[in-house]
Amino acid sequence: MSASDQILRLEAVSKHFGGLRVIEDLSFAVKRGVRTALIGPNGAGKTTVFNLITGVFPVDAGRILLDGADITDTPSRLRIGYGIARSFQNIRLMPHLSTLENVMVGQHCRNGGVRGVLQPVNLVPHNRWRDAARAALADAGLIEYERATVGNLPYGVQKRIELVRALMAQPRLLLLDEPAAGLNPAETEALQDQLEKICAGGGLTVLVVEHDMHFVGALCEDVIVLDFGRKIAEGSPEDVRHNPLVQEIYLGAPAAEPMERHSARSA
Amino acid sequence: MSGYLEGVLVLLAVNVVFAYGGFLPLAAGQLNLGLAGFAAIGAYTSAYLSNVFTLPPLLAIPLAGIAAGAVALVVAVPVLRTRGIYLALATFALGQIVQAIILNLQVVGGAAGYPVTAFIRFPTIAATAAIVVALVWLLFATRFGIAVTAVHDDERVADLMGIDVRAFQIAAFALGSAIAGIGGGLYAHHFSFIEAQYFNISLSITIVLYVLLGGTQTVIGPLLGAAVFTLLPEVLRASANWRYVAFAAALIVIMALRPEGLVTSAQLRRLLGFTRAEPDPAAVAAAVPKERAG
Amino acid sequence: MLGSIYAMVAVALTLSIGVLRFLNFSIPGLFMIGGMTAWASLRSGMSWPLAIGAALAAGAFASLVVERFTWRWMRSAQHFVPLVSSMAFLLLFEHLAVIYWGSELRTLPVLFPNADWRIAGLVISLPQLGGLVCSIALVWALTLVLARTRLGRGLRTIAEDSDTALLLGVDINRIVPVVFLISGLFAALAGVIFALNYRQVQPFMGEVVGLKGISAMIVGGMGNIWGSIAGGLIIGLVEVMSIGYFGADFVDIAVYGLLLLILFVRPTGLFAADFAGQRA
Repeated sequence: MSASDQILRLEAVSKHFGGLRVIEDLSFAVKRGVRTALIGPNGAGKTTVFNLITGVFPVDAGRILLDGADITDTPSRLRIGYGIARSFQNIRLMPHLSTLENVMVGQHCRNGGVRGVLQPVNLVPHNRWRDAARAALADAGLIEYERATVGNLPYGVQKRIELVRALMAQPRLLLLDEPAAGLNPAETEALQDQLEKICAGGGLTVLVVEHDMHFVGALCEDVIVLDFGRKIAEGSPEDVRHNPLVQEIYLGAPAAEPMERHSARSA
Repeated sequence: MSGYLEGVLVLLAVNVVFAYGGFLPLAAGQLNLGLAGFAAIGAYTSAYLSNVFTLPPLLAIPLAGIAAGAVALVVAVPVLRTRGIYLALATFALGQIVQAIILNLQVVGGAAGYPVTAFIRFPTIAATAAIVVALVWLLFATRFGIAVTAVHDDERVADLMGIDVRAFQIAAFALGSAIAGIGGGLYAHHFSFIEAQYFNISLSITIVLYVLLGGTQTVIGPLLGAAVFTLLPEVLRASANWRYVAFAAALIVIMALRPEGLVTSAQLRRLLGFTRAEPDPAAVAAAVPKERAG
Repeated sequence: MLGSIYAMVAVALTLSIGVLRFLNFSIPGLFMIGGMTAWASLRSGMSWPLAIGAALAAGAFASLVVERFTWRWMRSAQHFVPLVSSMAFLLLFEHLAVIYWGSELRTLPVLFPNADWRIAGLVISLPQLGGLVCSIALVWALTLVLARTRLGRGLRTIAEDSDTALLLGVDINRIVPVVFLISGLFAALAGVIFALNYRQVQPFMGEVVGLKGISAMIVGGMGNIWGSIAGGLIIGLVEVMSIGYFGADFVDIAVYGLLLLILFVRPTGLFAADFAGQRA
């Protein structure tokens, strides 16, 4: 695996909060175009890894490289411009913006300069940014909600809107924090289809934090396992499932079969 | 029109301008309790310019607004490093300091007040107010409006989405202060006499309260708030002091029952939804077939 | 000394912020109610102990009204709502006072003629001394209550973590009015002491005098009772010094300038500590 295949690389990253060592000497790489999962028990530090990658917290040690470029000290605000977009564990849409406007927030990194900010996007009948956002909503089957107050929408719909918002930034790397949490089986399958579709071109790499092992097994080609802030295993879903260390930390994990069935399906 | 009616309408126009001065920072999530101080800067600067340099009011007032905005820009950098309650208190301290400084400036009359020679009538004031409202409305129809609301709703996520939170907060703060300054200038050139005692914390509080009454979720809210505050007591023939009592009581009730204010964005969208540009049917139809079946 | 008056207002404010996380802008209004009720009672012929009692009762009552309409209904609403409602109450009280008593400056009669001590060339007015002693005693009593009584324990628990307090069985609904009551009494008493010492009251005295209590609170350390005392004394000192060096007109600039400076440089205040005074 050469370095140019790696869209994201963490090198010996550590993070402490007070005396608590949340991430300890963590190194892993995500290959370009490969759907990757980051799994581990609660408290393993998965969301913290996302927060470090997006710059919410600075690292205490180590480096983060995006497509070879060192972004360790880049301010959080600029990282989305470099191509990293994310969704959140607890949906964080703007309650006072409509669905369409929320999605347009995702465009800000591409249209946020002084000229961009002063464009009358909500005034003129056809503005290319608003039209693009509308098209994206239509594409995701959400156009009927474009003027709705996001807070009143069903949970699954809000999750999909958040995904569209992240995609509007046209990222190279998409970080999804528990995208399947709270979704029913039909919605989960629809999400899986949608993610497979958007990754198909190869221009987008997806890194997913998930607890739903069926989903991970069905969607992802590469899995990284964390526990207590350290990487303890890495490989295909099948390899990871058979890893004794992983089985141990998941003490009594669900039966192996479901993962196998789904892996066969996605082959 | 009668002198009395003109006085009321002028007050309405001035209050509308003040309201938008308060609305800008509130829309970005900041409480500016020093609004009266910026109004004072605008009033005194424009009065000084028109008295001493005999500039026409229509030149003096915008210049004074710029002066107020400039002062706001200078203090914004340290002030906006504070957050929440500390920010409100810092702006409060600012307003008190401005008032105290003016009380000491003998060149503009000090505690005795400052008479203003030039005079502008209602049509000019109304036109200025209308321009301010139109400009703010236009501004919020741009991506500025979306970004500012995003900053108000969730600073952390707005930052992660690439929005320069500090820049927008500073811009909202400075713009609001400049608008308050213009309001002060309008007031000075119609009531022909200004004194520092008028631009006190009560004025700042009153402005903030009627902006919140109208609602800060939409651009119409402040207009409505100023109108209710100015006109309702006239209709009810309330004395100056009962007006404040009723207003304060109304606000307390509204904050208890409907803290978003009279006009909310959801309501407005529903109301105006049918007049918004309809999505291009061809574009949507072309997009729809891509939707997966079932 | 004005410092002790600022200190008492600061304590009232700090109690609210420390326990309820709520900047109670109506407190300057309660200060005014205390002062003006004392004047009105004296004018109507009451003896001064009764007048003070009436003033305290008025302040306490008004404070409980504020509690009913800001805190009760709004705990779940947006964070700034109680602050905004308390500001509305300030306006409400001020203008009701103007309606009821007129807006002129009112003078109180001299209560204690020839009550000045002359010691070694210094003139110490008895009312001022009395006020100082009174405020220090009351704040001491308050800290004792906080440290020794069940009520105090409840308050300190809520101040630290309101969720934990609920879990520990602290009855928040019954304690919150007590907070309002105590801060209302402190504010009203500060107003009474001011009225008796400086013998001048008007409906907007809360804005002129009471608001400086905010400065005292922040300078001393928001949410810390002993800090508020220190802050009050510091602000009093700053005032005296600025009058001495720059003249009386400069006072407000000095007091609020100091507030601004502290907010920029050390927002937690000069004596940052937790609610009951433990080092932060």
